Amino acid sequence: MENEGRRRFLGVCVAGATAAAAVAAGYPVFRYLAPRSGQGGGAKLVIPAGELKEGDAKFFEFAGSSAVLIKTKSGELVALSAVCTHLGCIVQWVKEKQQFLCPCHGGQFSTDGTVLGGPPPRPLAKIPLTVTEGNITIG
Amino acid sequence: MLKRLYRWLDLRIGVGEIVEKELTGYLLPRNINEWYSLGSVLLVIFALQVVTGMLLMIYYVPDADKAFKSVTFIMNEVPFGWLIRLCHAVGSNMMVAVLILHMLSTLLMGSYKAPRELNWVTGFTLLALVQGISLTGYLAPWSQLSFWATTVATNSASAVPVLGPYLVEFLRGGKLVGPPTLGRFFALHAAVLPVVIAALIGAHLFLLKRTGISAPPFGREGTANPFEAQQYHYQGHPGGIPFFPNYVLQDLTSISVYFAIFLAVVFFWPGMPFTPDAFVPADPFKTPAHIKPEWYFLANYQTLKIFPSELLGLSVQAAAMTFLALLPFIDRSPERHPLKRPIFLTLVIAGILLWIALSVWGHLS
Repeated sequence: MENEGRRRFLGVCVAGATAAAAVAAGYPVFRYLAPRSGQGGGAKLVIPAGELKEGDAKFFEFAGSSAVLIKTKSGELVALSAVCTHLGCIVQWVKEKQQFLCPCHGGQFSTDGTVLGGPPPRPLAKIPLTVTEGNITIG
Repeated sequence: MLKRLYRWLDLRIGVGEIVEKELTGYLLPRNINEWYSLGSVLLVIFALQVVTGMLLMIYYVPDADKAFKSVTFIMNEVPFGWLIRLCHAVGSNMMVAVLILHMLSTLLMGSYKAPRELNWVTGFTLLALVQGISLTGYLAPWSQLSFWATTVATNSASAVPVLGPYLVEFLRGGKLVGPPTLGRFFALHAAVLPVVIAALIGAHLFLLKRTGISAPPFGREGTANPFEAQQYHYQGHPGGIPFFPNYVLQDLTSISVYFAIFLAVVFFWPGMPFTPDAFVPADPFKTPAHIKPEWYFLANYQTLKIFPSELLGLSVQAAAMTFLALLPFIDRSPERHPLKRPIFLTLVIAGILLWIALSVWGHLS
């Protein structure tokens, strides 16, 4: 009986030590593989207002993802995420129709991001922007 | 839960039979010693090299313009990148060291003798391949050290008569070490050699299983090898100790001791695999002073320097390597106890001392 208890105690010790070793080895590997936090996030982007004509769109990288800035024909500035809410493809700007088209499965979005047609379940996410002294600050 | 899973598997694929045959029923000589566990330690080291190598490949860029930057990025920016890279660099040194110890124990216990000649030959080939994988990996960081050590190492092939200069160019992928060298060395290091080494380890283990493990020549009356080449005969050890759990415990002990030493080097002597030139990007127009190869190539390096002609130096090394590779076919006496083989023992000790002396000389010169 005493032997049994000793055996169990040793078993628990070995299992504990193995688990500790696995965590000690696994944590660095997980951190090594994990995407680096804060990469591009939180940063603001400044685009000169003169770069964009009415009816045009400008695609750029923002917070580690793709985004688009458009100046509507009425002169309004809108910044949106360019990632289609259906399966994550990047939407394209169709200047003639003044709307976005996702080439993957035909999703269509208006200039304010609302879904006009196709499979996307949600509108494109809006990104805040401010205009000061001829500069557009995104984010 | 585990018992139920075991029974589930056993009913389907007969796991119990395998366990009985390969683990609990696999009997080893009663006087087996710790030196026999170095093979398991080497398997663990190789596995760790493969895993850390795969992890490094995530961030490493095998392009002459980007390689050094990518290694610096791994060391300084990627979380625990330094740890992964140090484990890989220190591990490669450890692999050569443990491999040499494994071969020395085989040598001193006469385990290379018939019927285990092929185990020795595959083991010896593995040593050469491990040196090859270390050499090709050495170029990967594209530092001054990598660049010039590779220049010197590949240049030694020029001593081969007639084909020499072409051989050097073929190895380098150009007249000098450059971006094409990195491409072919990286392919060899990360794709070709690991597969060949893994296959040869498989062959080595297959041979071990077919011949049966040798009994140490110590602590028993008969120390001569009972092998007679009449017909195939598995050398079993009736009444011996089971591989599982008895010898697995010894294997785990040796692996733990190895890890203690390995991690002590990684954490307390991280500069071991590097010289200051390892932290300067490769510059093909600036040869640094005193470029030395890794410690396990120092004896070869010094031998090349001693002889007046490079061809002679290379030939002497080739002869020594061939002699060692073919040792089981040259030394055919059945006696295995080292103290009962005084000439052999003297030669082994003299050989080791010569190798150490040449290495130290090479280091200091």
